[in-house]
Amino acid sequence: MTKFQSKWVSPQLLVALTAMSHGLVISPIVPASATTGRDGNHDTPVETIDFNRDVRPILSDNCFQCHGPDEKARHADLRLDSFLGATAPLKSKRFAIVPGDIDHSELITRVRHQNDAERMPPPESGKRLTPHQMDILRRWIQQGAHWPAHWAFVKPERPALPAVENTGWLVNPVDSFILMRLEQEGLSPSPQADRHTLIRRVAFDLTGLPPTIDQLDQTLFDERPNWYEELVDRLLDSKHYGERMAQHWLDLARYADSDGHHVDGPRSMWPFRDYVIDSFNTNKPFDRFTLEQLAGDLIPEATLEQKIASAFHRNVPTTAEAGANAEEYMTKYAVDRVNTTATVWLGVTMQCAQCHDHKYDPFTTKEFYQLLAFFNQVPEPAIYNGLYAPPTIIASDSAAEEQAELDALNDLATMLEEKWNAALDASNPQLDADQAEWEKTTSTSNEVDTDIKNILQTPAEKRSEEQNIQVRRYYRETHVPEVKDLKTRLTSAKNAHSEYDKTIQRIRVMADAPERRTTYILLRGNFRQPGDAVQPGVPKVLGDLPPRNEPNRLTLARWLVRADHPLAARVTVNRFWQMFFGQGIVKTLDDFGSRGEWPSHPELLDWLAMEFVESGWDVKRVLRLLVTSATYRQSSKSAPASRERDPENRLLGRGPRVRLPAEMVRDNALAISGLFDRDRPTGGPSVKPYQPPGLWRMISSDDVAHNAYQQDHGGDLYRRGLYTFWKRSIVYPAFAVFDAPSREICTAIRPVTNTPLQAFVMLNDLTYVEAARVFAQRVMVESDGSFNARLDHAFRLALARMPQPDERRAMTNLYRDILKHYRLDEEAAQNLVSSGESPRHDNLNLVDHATWTCVCSAILNLDETLTKE
Amino acid sequence: MDPAENSATTMTRRQFFGRSTTGIGTLALASLLNQNLITPTAQALPGTGGIVPGFHVRPRAKRIIFLFMSGGPSQFETFDPKPKLNELSGKPMPKSLTEDQRLAQLQGKELFCMGTKFKFAKHGNVQADVSDLLPYTAQVVDDLTIIRSMQTDAINHDPAVTFFQCGTSQPGRPTMGSWMSYGLGSANRDLPAFVVLVSNSHVGQNLHTRYWGSGFLPSIHQGVRFRSKGDPVLYVSNPDGINRQVRRRILDGIRQVNQMKFESIGDPEIATRIEQYEMAYRMQASVPELMDVSDEPDDVFDLYGPEAKTPGTMAANCLLARRLAERDVRFIQLYHRGWDQHNALPTDITRQCNQMDRPCAALIKDLKQRGMLDDTIVLWSGEFGRTPMAQSNTELDNYGRDHHMLAFSAWVAGGGFKAGTLYGATDEFGYQVIKDPVHVHDLHATMLHLMGIDHLKLTYRFQGRDHRLTDVHGNVIPGLIT
Repeated sequence: MTKFQSKWVSPQLLVALTAMSHGLVISPIVPASATTGRDGNHDTPVETIDFNRDVRPILSDNCFQCHGPDEKARHADLRLDSFLGATAPLKSKRFAIVPGDIDHSELITRVRHQNDAERMPPPESGKRLTPHQMDILRRWIQQGAHWPAHWAFVKPERPALPAVENTGWLVNPVDSFILMRLEQEGLSPSPQADRHTLIRRVAFDLTGLPPTIDQLDQTLFDERPNWYEELVDRLLDSKHYGERMAQHWLDLARYADSDGHHVDGPRSMWPFRDYVIDSFNTNKPFDRFTLEQLAGDLIPEATLEQKIASAFHRNVPTTAEAGANAEEYMTKYAVDRVNTTATVWLGVTMQCAQCHDHKYDPFTTKEFYQLLAFFNQVPEPAIYNGLYAPPTIIASDSAAEEQAELDALNDLATMLEEKWNAALDASNPQLDADQAEWEKTTSTSNEVDTDIKNILQTPAEKRSEEQNIQVRRYYRETHVPEVKDLKTRLTSAKNAHSEYDKTIQRIRVMADAPERRTTYILLRGNFRQPGDAVQPGVPKVLGDLPPRNEPNRLTLARWLVRADHPLAARVTVNRFWQMFFGQGIVKTLDDFGSRGEWPSHPELLDWLAMEFVESGWDVKRVLRLLVTSATYRQSSKSAPASRERDPENRLLGRGPRVRLPAEMVRDNALAISGLFDRDRPTGGPSVKPYQPPGLWRMISSDDVAHNAYQQDHGGDLYRRGLYTFWKRSIVYPAFAVFDAPSREICTAIRPVTNTPLQAFVMLNDLTYVEAARVFAQRVMVESDGSFNARLDHAFRLALARMPQPDERRAMTNLYRDILKHYRLDEEAAQNLVSSGESPRHDNLNLVDHATWTCVCSAILNLDETLTKE
Repeated sequence: MDPAENSATTMTRRQFFGRSTTGIGTLALASLLNQNLITPTAQALPGTGGIVPGFHVRPRAKRIIFLFMSGGPSQFETFDPKPKLNELSGKPMPKSLTEDQRLAQLQGKELFCMGTKFKFAKHGNVQADVSDLLPYTAQVVDDLTIIRSMQTDAINHDPAVTFFQCGTSQPGRPTMGSWMSYGLGSANRDLPAFVVLVSNSHVGQNLHTRYWGSGFLPSIHQGVRFRSKGDPVLYVSNPDGINRQVRRRILDGIRQVNQMKFESIGDPEIATRIEQYEMAYRMQASVPELMDVSDEPDDVFDLYGPEAKTPGTMAANCLLARRLAERDVRFIQLYHRGWDQHNALPTDITRQCNQMDRPCAALIKDLKQRGMLDDTIVLWSGEFGRTPMAQSNTELDNYGRDHHMLAFSAWVAGGGFKAGTLYGATDEFGYQVIKDPVHVHDLHATMLHLMGIDHLKLTYRFQGRDHRLTDVHGNVIPGLIT
């Protein structure tokens, strides 16, 4: 047995334990662990119990609720979340745990007690320990009740590479960890995936797009041994790499194009989205990326880019509801910033501590509000209104010029306004005399403004000063040519100013108000019940802020990405892993706390985290490591036995096979059909593709102009998914059914579901009908007239491979049957090939085109087309 | 019907897990699946069971229809008359009641009592007070449990609707309907388990898809909105030029190739996808059939009113709710908007009641005559009620009322609720509950109870915590049920 085996044991066991802690008696779902002797048979040789792996989950699930960190919920003054607490004398003078002495450990007596009134956990909790769990507790106490800190809160160290047998399989260090576990379980890795499968897989993973025919041809027949690495490098250099990475990051940043709450009005934050794309494309070190987003505005001599980056925390959902309480919403905004920061960089569920001390992890309510004190200093309105709620900046390289232009237009308007006012009020006996004449003749005229007419009823000497001014101004405005002219010039200057202002792209950014707001602990999280004041600070268990630094967001950001931080690097590489392998090494991407899942390969996680930090937080370097590993290159095909043994592929004995995320489903269809313009530069305002009419209007508030969906045209109809206008109250429906989140909160994991509504989108949404039509067109134009040549081309475009004979047969039959139908119904054929706004080649045979559209639609709907495999 | 027998996919899953899960109940397997964040496609498939294996308690109801009055209807014009307010109308509100209380738009304003323009009379054996705005509802009071002691936690629309639907006002949590879908699955193989109908009678507060979202539950549990215009379900209709035969032929082609893939790869997700495409095909028939009310006899339209023939009206949606209930859709959510009457309340509430009263009462009668009221829960409520204090002005023809969360009225019917009951009471100003409070959490717990679910046991672990619809609160209220 290697040293790793003793420290880190199978996740299956843990799964089983977790399940059992829910009162279920089961055997591990993956019998693989039987080979380690951990099959629940207690007579097998005793191994050392690992507290974090074996014991903490039991205590956390069953005991912490009443005997955990939350002081107010604690019973019997006993806490079982710390060694000191668990070994302190009880009121009864006994001890919950006496290390090494099970007979005097009350814990053991109580969990085994036959009497309901005595047994722990109490029956009303619905929880009961299984004999196996009791046995673990018993053995652990017997072995000395060793109590190390929770693994994720201790800084990672780079482990040595484990020894393996099949060294020939290894490509890079990642593989050593994977293979060690496989060998330990008596399993072998799968063979390398077919070259075309691998090309398609890595193209999706690194660029979010399928390979082009050129890329395919170039790579399929490349005989150099490093063909794959070269391909990876080309993909990493592609501008589409940044788009693919941004798509994932935007869920975390809860980036959206609307405000979220209440009427859900539009906002204009897309320069932040482009910042994210560019940052990945330029391979900005992740620590820098962190600093800029959390505190770009506070970096000395901040650049425009850094200020735009700080929009990260202006992505919070905001309200425009008139009756909303200002303090309540200011609190909500700051709370969201704490929760998001905690999820993204710490991978912990800080939000639990908003109302009470965390039940499972060592975070107090006070610490929650200490974190909040970093984020509630923004001079923002509580009730938002309009695209650009302050603080904002001009998001343009020529910001200074634009501002100067704007100022100049403003100065001009101000100057004209002053002149005009002066002309209205200047002492001018001649005009006064003219006015007196005018008054005589017009006092009864209907052409005069009603207010003025009323005043004119009163003789001049009896009018108030104010009334006299009103009449004088009215007269001069309407009768004196110079004044009239000034007014015209003033109006046009003001118009010029507001028109120019509209062309300026601004963005909401972060700033700290000069005067610090005091932050209070809110009792039960209620903004109406402030408790003690707190200073900015970080959770004690994770270390201290660097001394002698101002406790602001910049210091917090530096602290998060300091080299020895236990969480940021682990949490980040784990998310990268999930992007490529379908699930994290720690499956609970957003919870590394004591209730999070035990890592499948903890040593690998730490190794990768250290590699990431020591490489200078080099994202591309880590991703390259992952996708060039032998682990990644495995085929996702598997023998039923292997699938049954490890249905979730936790041991990585085969390659990933995962349905594409929402945006990629779209991008894929657009790329296959050729509708997507690969040459178009990245970035730009969000776009509004086809959507069924009336969708926004139907659920929107009273006739708000922004709730009329103004669909785009031309190339903007075919942009990648990440540029689609993200309206939080009603997410673009084709994305929503493919599990895209509303981005009302920071989202680390999207579920992957499989529903009939997805079939409707793929079959009937105009985007996909048009894609099928244009795909058909492309296949007909780009290959010679034979059916087989066209089908080959279609398969290569969609699946990067040729059809199998039986697939060819199925598609041929499909083509024949449909062709018969459209021969008899040319009108239907015409309707089908008229779908969408992109032009059609008129010289294509109508019936043939309609038939190919159906075949291409079928290909776009294949499980394989929708899947990265 | 044993749903498992009817779903090829479930069989696939079962076979798939067959050897390794011997002796594990569905619950165990399902909870393993969800804990491991595997796509829980199989157990969530329409036509299959949910996460709850049997039932925690004896179920009384199979389905829920929630008639949601978005904006917050006034209890003082509907079910909770206050002579004292009429008496003191226009006079200052006693400070003792409102001091230190949370108010919405009236915060910091002078507060005046506001009587009502409308008359109340006693109806039914239960002698329930119902205003003359609701003549049809008045006819069915002996089938209702009228709760006059509702309480909620949020005072603004967006958080309060979210709270009523999710048991918390934080975005990202599942709604009642998605909990039902998750817990009990669907009893219909051709329709989603959770259907939403929004009436177009009046625009009002913004609705968010979050109100029928599945939060952290897999999105298969989210509500599917059936629309009155365009495709009833988004993208259900084939595009121009593809008829049902061509669609079938294309689907066969897709299935054949997917089947080959499944045989060579063995990934159960492929089998699930095959089944979902078949389900989509069936829905293409079942949805239009459901939406087409032309087969309803005249006496049904007499019951719901002539508006029931106009798609998108509250009347049409109430009729559709019955048709969905007949097809065993688990959770049917209606939204009727336009109840946010800060001003011009007398005019606006008259319009609202005219649209809502007859069809809601008709739904009760219709379900009853079909013997379906016994196992269908019908809930009528807004996200909160309105203040006894006037807003805008105090004229009897043109007053308004602000949001009120401390006390409001709702009614429930059928499915084990105690028919012909008045439950709870408010003080003489209608400001506070003085007897038998029913918090939204309690209502949730009670409804789950009638559906056979212990609200403490229907949980889903997300970010380290076992979440429930009732958060950490809620009690089943015995006085509400038979």
